[in-house]
Amino acid sequence: MISEYAALIVGAILVNNFVLSRILGICPFLGVSKKLSTALGMGGAVIFVMTLSGLATALFHHLILIPLGLGYLQTIVFILVIAALVQIVEVLMQRFTPPLYRALGIFLPLITTNCAVLGSAIMCADNGYGIVKSTVFCSASAVGFALALVLFASVREKLELARIPEPLQGPSIALLTAATLAMAFSGFAGLGG
Amino acid sequence: MTTVILLTVTGLVSGLAIGIVVKFYGTTPNPLEEKLLELVPGANCGGCGFAGCEGYAKAMAEGSAKPGACPLMNDAVVQEICALLGVESEARKPMVAIVCCSGDDDHAQRMAFYNGVNDCQNAMLVAGGGKGCVYGCLGLGSCARACPYGAIEIRPNHIAVVHPELCVGCGKCVLACPRRLIKLTPKSAPVHVFCSSPERGALKRKFCSAACIGCRKCVKEAGEDQVSMNGALAAINYDNPPDAGVAAACPTGALRTTAVMESTRG
Amino acid sequence: MIKQLHFYGGIHPVEDKVAQSVPIVEPPILETYMVPLQQHIGAPAKAVVAKGDQVKRGQLLGEAQGFVSAPVHAPTSGVIREVTTCLGPSGAQVPALLLASDGEDAPADPMPAIDWHQASPGDLRQRISAAGIVGKGGAAFPTVVKLSPPPNKKIDTLILNGVECEPCLTADHRLMLERAADIVTGAQITARILGAKKIIIGIENNKPDAIEVMRQAGADYGIEVCSLRVRYPQGAEKQLIYAVTGRKVPSGGLPADIGCLVQNVGTAAAIADAVCLGKPLYERVTTVTGTPLVSPGNWRFRVGTTYSEAIKLAGGVKEDPIKIISGGPMMGMAVYSLDIPIIKSTSGILLLSKDELTQFAVRPCIRCGRCNDSCPMGMMPGILSVQIENQRYELAEKWHVMDCIECGCCAYTCPASRPLVQHLRRAKAEVQAARRAAKAKAEK
Repeated sequence: MISEYAALIVGAILVNNFVLSRILGICPFLGVSKKLSTALGMGGAVIFVMTLSGLATALFHHLILIPLGLGYLQTIVFILVIAALVQIVEVLMQRFTPPLYRALGIFLPLITTNCAVLGSAIMCADNGYGIVKSTVFCSASAVGFALALVLFASVREKLELARIPEPLQGPSIALLTAATLAMAFSGFAGLGG
Repeated sequence: MTTVILLTVTGLVSGLAIGIVVKFYGTTPNPLEEKLLELVPGANCGGCGFAGCEGYAKAMAEGSAKPGACPLMNDAVVQEICALLGVESEARKPMVAIVCCSGDDDHAQRMAFYNGVNDCQNAMLVAGGGKGCVYGCLGLGSCARACPYGAIEIRPNHIAVVHPELCVGCGKCVLACPRRLIKLTPKSAPVHVFCSSPERGALKRKFCSAACIGCRKCVKEAGEDQVSMNGALAAINYDNPPDAGVAAACPTGALRTTAVMESTRG
Repeated sequence: MIKQLHFYGGIHPVEDKVAQSVPIVEPPILETYMVPLQQHIGAPAKAVVAKGDQVKRGQLLGEAQGFVSAPVHAPTSGVIREVTTCLGPSGAQVPALLLASDGEDAPADPMPAIDWHQASPGDLRQRISAAGIVGKGGAAFPTVVKLSPPPNKKIDTLILNGVECEPCLTADHRLMLERAADIVTGAQITARILGAKKIIIGIENNKPDAIEVMRQAGADYGIEVCSLRVRYPQGAEKQLIYAVTGRKVPSGGLPADIGCLVQNVGTAAAIADAVCLGKPLYERVTTVTGTPLVSPGNWRFRVGTTYSEAIKLAGGVKEDPIKIISGGPMMGMAVYSLDIPIIKSTSGILLLSKDELTQFAVRPCIRCGRCNDSCPMGMMPGILSVQIENQRYELAEKWHVMDCIECGCCAYTCPASRPLVQHLRRAKAEVQAARRAAKAKAEK
């Protein structure tokens, strides 16, 4: 059982990293990664939202949708739940951490439509994970997301001081870096069986 | 049917949850600040004295800053802000920066060849840059790099020149010049003295043929209340400036209308 | 004994100590001396004489302004021709007095000799202050300030700096050979002022004659001589303390924090003169050297001697020099005029010929890391230079740019010929300005 969960966690964080292997959640990945402090803040927010949404959506799925035979509603309902959660997180952030709220700007409500959040919830439902397993999986995926974000932000901070040729400045060099990171992470393939 | 009920209930419950959270933990935004944030230009040049446009908008909303400090805002916007804040607006004079030196390579002497980082503030660390006149422009571009509007040109003969049509008078260049050569002057003034050296005329002449030599011809031409002498350096009274004709009286060309030194003078 | 401890980093530049074997020469009295009132770190001295005044050698010309300041004394007897300004080695004009000598070199009444064995540290400090003694190793920090650490910092070890790691300079070497006894006396006086129990003299092992002479001079007084491995910048304060005692000065701290004090051998000799003979500081040994010179050597110049006069005394030049440096090639300052006067901290005048000078174009950092290997303070000058080029001074402050001792090892090793020391100096100036601004804002 431990080994099952260990494989799940390692798989979600490293082997099938949501950003670098599954190419989900690219919007905040490219948009919030200019500064390491903002990236850390965003990573924390996503871990919080994804864990809660994983739990909430799994509860909904197993306790309401499946007994009522309304499994086909999972997309709409999940989006509803996630949107509400993100709104609540936004309000709380605005109240308790205003600098981080301002720094994240538009990307905080974008977590709502973030394919990583919805994707992990739907993946859990489709793979038939139980409630605990869903929560663990979503949490681990969020940690993987935060890891990719932090790595990318560190590299981008260094890139700011480098002399990049004009055609490559801006998004180009960012995407090239992301591609290199993705290549690096593909080295984890096959880990954990 | 169950679908409809389920979705309605879920929606209502979520809405209720959000409402409760907002009720207990929500922050009320300042509507005045929101409106001001829309009206500020957003260039973040720092000319108002605050870190960025957001800082200025906040300060105005708090009442610690006056509208009109922003050099980019036109009068209509300033009036609108004054109406919002309920304050009287003051008349603003558009300002433009002037580099008070004419000593380019064609006119000024260099005592040594400087080989190092191409920046005036860096050059000052190496025996003051090696220019004969210690009050002269080094022409390595600290001011041009500091200008957010690209209004300063560094000419090939190593002198900085401000293009008044691009300058908004934010004052960033004034701080960037290590020799404090740049002054903010009213845009309407027709002539300026493009020299900053307080030394004796003969000494200045030794190092630069475009210096103000303190001959007082401009004072004689325009009158003491328009141009006065500050030691051996002419100084324009910007509250009552002379008109462009006085430039003809200047033998070296230090007092002139345009920033660019004509190559035939001096 | 030879110390195996040495510091991280450092380089081995060519020593070029051409003037090593040339004994110190006493130059003749010149016609005029341009005596600057600012020859030290701190506030300039205020003139107490006026135009037309007659002065004698050693007479007070300018009094200290405040605690971090030093008085200035006349190098010879004569008349004050002018109260004016002159060009200093930093390129700025400094207030100065033009003294026209009468050729007599008549001394003023010396200050009374003090028996330093009996005198109190306070009296000794006062004498050092009155004599205008400043650090002669190059920094020219007023010695009385250095010898007045706060009461909670006890100094137990006095280290004399006879290392002279800077290439081409030989003034301290000759001083040790010729005035060993005075240096030892000065060290003892300093130790008495500080209450230090141990005195160690650090000398690089490329000066075996000086090591032997100082060992004999200090043997009777329990003064240890430490022979150090040759490496630049062994003579830098923090590196010297580490090599001799194994203690590390904390970042942003002073040697007094760890109970040590470093003093140049020239300063020690000047202290001995001031206390035992009542002689104020108005002369120093300077090395005039370089390939364009006819006869490089070491002279005991009076302050106010211009560089052109010094070069004339060195026999003049046989080819046109392309660069003139005040100090040594690693840490000296390039100057563009020979009308600059020699001051209390001028350790050398170096002339470079056209073949010896390399002009460079600034190229980007190639991240080779050679600068990191050679930095004696363990900093990363390459990364810092990239940050500074992008004007990220607050980032540079986090990466310890304020610990830089401006030794030049990084620029020496850089294969891309980057002007690293200039970048670091610029960053230090910006960080200091930012700190001052923040302090002013906090006080408001």
